[in-house]
Amino acid sequence: MTFEIDVNGRTRTVAVERTAGGRYRVVVDGRAHEVDAERVGLYGLSLLVDGASGVSRHVSVAPGGAPGEVLVGLEGRTVAAMVNGRRRGRVSADAIGAHGEVTIPAPMPGRVLRVLVAPGDDVAARQALLVVEAMKMENEIRSPKAGRVKDVSVTPGMSVEAGRALVVIE
Amino acid sequence: MKILVANRGEIAVRVIRACREMGIPTVAVYSECDRQARHVREADQAFAIGPGEAAKSYLRIDAIVEVARRSGATAVHPGYGFLAENARFAAACRDAGLTFIGPSPEAISAMGSKTAARKIALEAGVPVVPGTETPFDAEASDEEMRAAADRVGYPLVVKAVAGGGGKGMRVVDAPAALIPAIHTARSEAGSAFGDSAVYLERQIVKPRHIEIQLLGDAHGTVIPFVERECSIQRRHQKVVEESPSLAVTPDLRRRMAASAAAVARAVGYTNAGTIEFLLDDDGSFYFLEMNTRLQVEHPVTEMVTSIDLVHWQIRIARGEPLDIDPERALTPHGHAIECRIYAEDPDLGFMPSPGLIRGIRPAAGPGVRDDGGVSEGYTVPVFYDSMIAKLVARAADRPEAIARMARALAEYEVLGIRTTIPFFLWLMRQPDYIEGRYDTTYLDRLLASRAGESFNELTEADEELAAMATGLDAFMRARAVAGGDGPVRLQGMWKHAARREALSP
Repeated sequence: MTFEIDVNGRTRTVAVERTAGGRYRVVVDGRAHEVDAERVGLYGLSLLVDGASGVSRHVSVAPGGAPGEVLVGLEGRTVAAMVNGRRRGRVSADAIGAHGEVTIPAPMPGRVLRVLVAPGDDVAARQALLVVEAMKMENEIRSPKAGRVKDVSVTPGMSVEAGRALVVIE
Repeated sequence: MKILVANRGEIAVRVIRACREMGIPTVAVYSECDRQARHVREADQAFAIGPGEAAKSYLRIDAIVEVARRSGATAVHPGYGFLAENARFAAACRDAGLTFIGPSPEAISAMGSKTAARKIALEAGVPVVPGTETPFDAEASDEEMRAAADRVGYPLVVKAVAGGGGKGMRVVDAPAALIPAIHTARSEAGSAFGDSAVYLERQIVKPRHIEIQLLGDAHGTVIPFVERECSIQRRHQKVVEESPSLAVTPDLRRRMAASAAAVARAVGYTNAGTIEFLLDDDGSFYFLEMNTRLQVEHPVTEMVTSIDLVHWQIRIARGEPLDIDPERALTPHGHAIECRIYAEDPDLGFMPSPGLIRGIRPAAGPGVRDDGGVSEGYTVPVFYDSMIAKLVARAADRPEAIARMARALAEYEVLGIRTTIPFFLWLMRQPDYIEGRYDTTYLDRLLASRAGESFNELTEADEELAAMATGLDAFMRARAVAGGDGPVRLQGMWKHAARREALSP
């Protein structure tokens, strides 16, 4: 089976097949690995990578909050991955400096306290666009890039779900 | 004695653990979204008190006192936050014949107003940071506030009178920013505490936040403890605490402890409390405020003194005299560090990241303590502070404690949501943190200097491993769904769950 897997904003082609002896041959972007993979619990994977070297890695792969997203745990670090599709509903730091139209979604459920921009306003990268209250804290939602506000689809007082479009910057 | 725990999350679990150890039955209260919460399952009895919004559940004095009556509880432990520093709640408990495990309503009131607390400290001979002696009310004019600010001097801090935890707090560097800062602070204080009064305080440049834990009994004994170092703060919220502090010598420790005890005695303080100080880099210290409750960071003190503060809270409430050797309370054994693990995404400006916890495996092993408040299958609600656990590491000295914390963080697994664990792993590697060169502005400056790099520091090999694992996971799940001879040996419900998951979009 071959998957397109997006990790940290980069798509890799991962081909997986079973080999004799209950192991796996995993080819990541053309680099082949012989892997002894055992499930430990529902989301844990114990991997002995490249047979003879005996390299042991413990990785968890569990569904994340956004649709289609999985969160991969690597010794205290977490990276989002997406199988056969793009991540959605997330403005990541690497989007800063991006060109084109960007829809800024609510990163968490909450209540819109203040809207600081209006359609037609020019905004700088990292400029605060609105303030959303969640978990008793006021969180400023900032623009991932410099541009012009195309649309503001919320008003103060509105409750918003995670992923709901708040502002469109072009 | 039967204790009602008027709280939720890790602190409710912490208090229940102490009760269990002392053979005391417990009663939990919970809101609708907390039916599956860990504190409900660990208590002997549990009662619903209302919807998710704190104002309709955990902040309802009447509902909580009624549960105490119905359940036969004889005492109430308020934890921290919610009603812990609410004098009306302490009084309502007393009026209902319940023992409030904390100070008297009078002591809470005296210290609850930060301006009144400053007066008490001054009268006890303890220096305070220069500031306005009376809070601004809602009618205060802009001119009035500007004039007061000029007298205090810039930079200054706008603070909520009822404040705590950095909420309703703003730093103002120049006069132009004063009025907007007051408005924001008021709005935040109003929604967080129901009281929008604010006051001004001079900002001490590059201060350390050092606090002294103390216990006071009903017989007039006050025991101060070795200091906690709480200078690692993000937007005025503590994120890492330690004991002892590298900046505090044994002589300074004794002087700060004596000042803290003097403030506590001035209000006839009983039970656990904490005096917070700002420590200037010239060694002078200023009274900041008193927290009339158990603090979030109390475990670091417990770890270096081996004195259980919650046990003592309960014993003091029962009228027992404090018989702790004062020298033992002031002498740290080794070094302890605590990280507050939040359901937040550090790579998205620490945005709350509530959601379903698919799995959790706390760190363990030598010198590690996990004060957790959640469990697998629980959905972190959006209504409350998003802290899910406190991880504490203790070792013989600070370098060993940092190494142990890094080890424990890498071991700690929380599946399904993002947490601040990657941020702490990064912090434990920062040279200035390791060398102890920091003050309360350190972390915000360090974070501001970053250009959006991820805290999840991954090598090319790590990313390849992540892709490999995700591919193997997808492969195995597809095989399990197809009913093939895949290696996924899942039985019964697990198999069903895995199939459902694999089939969901």
